[in-house]
Amino acid sequence: MSVWNYVVTAQKPTNVTHSCVGNFTSPQELNLIIAKCTRIEIHLLTPQGLQPMLDVPIYGRIATLELFRPHGEAQDFLFIATERYKFCVLQWDAETSELITRAMGDVSDRIGRPTDNGQIGIIDPDCRLIGLHLYDGLFKVIPFDNKGQLKEAFNIRLEELQVLDIKFLYGCSKPTIVVLYQDNKDARHVKTYEVALKDKDFVEGPWSQNNLDNGADLLIPVPPPLCGVLIIGEETIVYCSANAFKAIPIRPSITRAYGRVDADGSRYLLGDHAGLLHLLVITHEKEKVTGLKIELLGETAIASTISYLDNAVVYIGSSYGDSQLIKLNLQPDAKGSYVEVLESYVNLGPIVDFCVVDLERQGQGQVVTCSGAYKDGSLRIVRNGIGINEQASVELQGIKGMWSLRSSTDDPFDTFLVVSFISETRILAMNLEDELEESEIEGFCSQVQTLFCHYAVHNQLVQVTSSCVRLVSSTTREFRTEWNAPSGYSINVATANATQVLLATGGGHLVYLEIGDGVLTEVKHTQMEYEISCLDINPIGENPNYSQLAAVGMWTDISVRIFSLPDLNVITKEHLGGEIIPRSVLLCSFEGISYLLCALGDGHLLNFLLKLDTGELTDRKKVSLGTQPITLRTFSSKNVTHVFAASDRPTVIYSSNKKLLYSNVNLKEVSYMCPFNSAAFPDSLAIAKEGELTIGTIDDIQKLHIRTIPLGEHARRICHQEQSRTFAICSLKNQSSAEETETHFIRLLDDQSFEFISTYQLDPFEYGCSILSCSFSDDINVYYCVGTAYVLPEENEPTKGRILVFMVEEGKLQLITEKETKGAVYSLNAFNGKLLAAINQKIQLYKWMLRDDGSHELQSECGHHGHILALYVQTRGDFIVVGDLMKSISLLIYKHEEGAIEERARDYNANWMSAVEILDDDIYLGAENNFNLFTVRKNSEGATDEERGRLEVVGEYHLGEFVNRFRHGSLVMRLPDSDVGQIPTVIFGTVNGVIGVIASLRHEQYVFLEKLQSNLRKVIKGVGGLSHEQWRSFNNEKKTVDAKNFLDGDLIESFLDLSRSRMDEIAKAMGVSVEELCKRVEELTRLH
Amino acid sequence: MGSMLGDWPSFDPHNFSQLRPTDPSNPSKMTPATYHPTHNRTLPPPDQVITTEAKNILLRNFYERAEEKLRPKRAASENLIPEHGCKQPRASTSC
Repeated sequence: MSVWNYVVTAQKPTNVTHSCVGNFTSPQELNLIIAKCTRIEIHLLTPQGLQPMLDVPIYGRIATLELFRPHGEAQDFLFIATERYKFCVLQWDAETSELITRAMGDVSDRIGRPTDNGQIGIIDPDCRLIGLHLYDGLFKVIPFDNKGQLKEAFNIRLEELQVLDIKFLYGCSKPTIVVLYQDNKDARHVKTYEVALKDKDFVEGPWSQNNLDNGADLLIPVPPPLCGVLIIGEETIVYCSANAFKAIPIRPSITRAYGRVDADGSRYLLGDHAGLLHLLVITHEKEKVTGLKIELLGETAIASTISYLDNAVVYIGSSYGDSQLIKLNLQPDAKGSYVEVLESYVNLGPIVDFCVVDLERQGQGQVVTCSGAYKDGSLRIVRNGIGINEQASVELQGIKGMWSLRSSTDDPFDTFLVVSFISETRILAMNLEDELEESEIEGFCSQVQTLFCHYAVHNQLVQVTSSCVRLVSSTTREFRTEWNAPSGYSINVATANATQVLLATGGGHLVYLEIGDGVLTEVKHTQMEYEISCLDINPIGENPNYSQLAAVGMWTDISVRIFSLPDLNVITKEHLGGEIIPRSVLLCSFEGISYLLCALGDGHLLNFLLKLDTGELTDRKKVSLGTQPITLRTFSSKNVTHVFAASDRPTVIYSSNKKLLYSNVNLKEVSYMCPFNSAAFPDSLAIAKEGELTIGTIDDIQKLHIRTIPLGEHARRICHQEQSRTFAICSLKNQSSAEETETHFIRLLDDQSFEFISTYQLDPFEYGCSILSCSFSDDINVYYCVGTAYVLPEENEPTKGRILVFMVEEGKLQLITEKETKGAVYSLNAFNGKLLAAINQKIQLYKWMLRDDGSHELQSECGHHGHILALYVQTRGDFIVVGDLMKSISLLIYKHEEGAIEERARDYNANWMSAVEILDDDIYLGAENNFNLFTVRKNSEGATDEERGRLEVVGEYHLGEFVNRFRHGSLVMRLPDSDVGQIPTVIFGTVNGVIGVIASLRHEQYVFLEKLQSNLRKVIKGVGGLSHEQWRSFNNEKKTVDAKNFLDGDLIESFLDLSRSRMDEIAKAMGVSVEELCKRVEELTRLH
Repeated sequence: MGSMLGDWPSFDPHNFSQLRPTDPSNPSKMTPATYHPTHNRTLPPPDQVITTEAKNILLRNFYERAEEKLRPKRAASENLIPEHGCKQPRASTSC
């Protein structure tokens, strides 16, 4: 790999951190706005459910998301504050469907200690000010003027240093905050302050309340007429105001999220750490609070945010499981739950660990993640591309074409499958037992190759061979009429639809026929100056049986022409350039937009926008799909039309949000494809590949496929073993008994069924920390090695752990040997036929020794001290790269002769690591806890020992995501002869559920894309006026420096979403054609 | 319980009226279009780029007191209220 890296998201964040409801896009429309850490999504509430409107990338990690209604406005504004101390106020412009920045700013202070309990951002209910608590001891105020404009911010000193929550109180004549805090004796209290805007200071507020529940953590302000605040503890809930105090005990729980139900604030939904949903009711008489009541409603995903939407439907946003749309029923179900899950939304976060495997052995990596937490823990199998699920297959060599036919015009299903060979045509048909068997259509010529087949009006079928066009009854299968090619000419290419036939013979003759009831009429004939290579009359206009346009590809001048029908006049001629002839053309329509697709003999595909009335071709784009000639065919899946491009790299072309997308198909080489929608195999495809005919169904058309294996417990480590075809995981299960206890397991899963097939329970307090499948020198067996730690409540760091060595025997985990360690085994690696373990501050190498009795044991060979905690270890040859808790990356080397491990070099920066990986011999990649990525380089050529002992930082980048794991591998099928196949990649998984790819580029490519990135920064502006350059700058407590040697692939690939004029603008600045630029960027999108 | 659970707020009775539960084992992957603004109103109006006042809290208090000390001397003949206010705790004069 290299120092020039391209970082791109394959799976966007799915962890829902915030949500709010309001009239954002129009005064009449109700919107749900959700934040997924670095993105917001705007949804519209409709009778059909939640309708996604827009996914908005934010150049920051969202700390606060609030909707508010400034005075005199008809709809809500959105306030967003980011963790790097930027904020913005957004407004929706319904006319242009754009987000407008009303205000933005920087609210950082040069000095100040960032708050431990997260940032707080609140808006006064009467819109007099925005309050921010970002640094201990300071409360920042951004005042509104009377026109709703923001004014210069100022700080107020806040005496309370350990603040847990701050909210504005409703119904106060002066803006008043209530502060929940902990004192230096760990007791918790609330206090109120009025904000004196003129004096820029606090004034003692109307009331305070001391000595609350020790677990009090959340304040809920109550709107008028009741006003006051609810204080949510772990054992009590208290209502407090200037003149009332009510408390109720609750079953011990930690409330994670709340959602207000009624505008008058009398009911609230509370979600706790175990995923239980409660309803809290404030009972009141004559605007006086008389008491509190709480009821359990049922179980949901563990909520991080709750938004009551409308008509008893509630959105549950989750960080630990799939987010949900639920309905609150009036009557409980059989299990006593009032909660009904209407819909759930995939969340991969937190991805704690993952592995890359090729389960289907097709040469394509799949990512299996440990996702979710607690009861919502799961494994997720993430695969790129579209899968064909084989239903039936038969060996058939030499297929030259395939078409499906119906037995009558209005039959919804296909009956016949016509398979053409070089010198014969065979008919397969579904029999009564729903089996495919050889059949006959008597009226067809079966001793010659078929060039094209189609069903036609009046219960007819049309067959085109090299000498004639035949019309056959589909009910009697008998011959009705034919049209013969003039003698001396043979038909080279042909196409047809239900009423029309277009064919070309040698000499450039183009003949147009129309189909009647038992009649074929030659309507028009024309002679072209060159031979015709391909043609199409797929109807995409209003009439589904008749096309008014024909597309024709030409030899010699390498052009594609659009003809009008029936008069056969050329209305458009487009030269394709180059020397490669068009091999397949297709008129098609996606999401109401008409296109002409034109595939070349070298695996390139051109697409044009097609104007149906004039035949004009615009917006030419070129992509590389493979290296062999492509055949294009349409097919339908779930009533939507897509295009299948059969080639050495089969691809499905589809449209999403009015943009063409290309998705790989998990097959190696497909020569022909035709849709085959039979009663037994509905919505199936017939596929000719490598001497085989396969009938298969196709996955949902989308780029990434995610399959969920719910575990009901929290998986923390995963490893695959090829030999036993199993996965092993370290997991933990919480027992919700009186004392919250957890039990840790090593579990063995079948790699096809994902069922638990064997379990090993760890000791009390013993955690599984690392897992590895490996083999040892002089032993042919393959083992699972597990590193553990005894985590005792009284110890700061574990002082004891174990290495357990298991073998899979008859599907069971057999413990072969174990070795006690003096600390937590954070990492295990196979190393020169031995086992390398990271144990607390030490790296330790173990030999696999044969004892006299024939059993094996791990024997300590050598080690290396000098780390704070060696958490992440990767090895390559004799080199060991260690990611330390707080001392960045160091490079060790194992010396065989001395049998010793020595330090070779280190990075002297104080980075707190979260993952490391070796990119190549000299370059190592790290992720750290301020959401940055960096690369360091071994300096072997240094002049002095000091220089050689220093790992030089060569790349820095703010990812904005907490990376838990890097793994070498690829999400896409690697083809050696494609450009993309040459780019080495590393996959990463993050807490927010992001799966990303880091691709190492050639220097020339990096320079080109860096230029593109800087041009894109000028055109694509950061939402809320936030700067892309600042967002990607490496940032920790000590320094902020511009990103270097990393490119933001998400920004670069958004080039493809731009309008044509913006593309032109950028292409001009880059000095290359739009076509070339599109092609290069499109290629990058195929990395993920 | 029934009374607590009934009468859920409704803004538009049509919302969700046609929604049918989907298979929970097949979570949906909604993919709205990604927004890439290219228009100029993404930049805030120049007077709405907010910063924090540069004066720290101590200096601000210091200057304010100094101003308050000066003010009564000039304003004494015109209006006695500010002077009166000056002797009061700040709470009563704020806002």
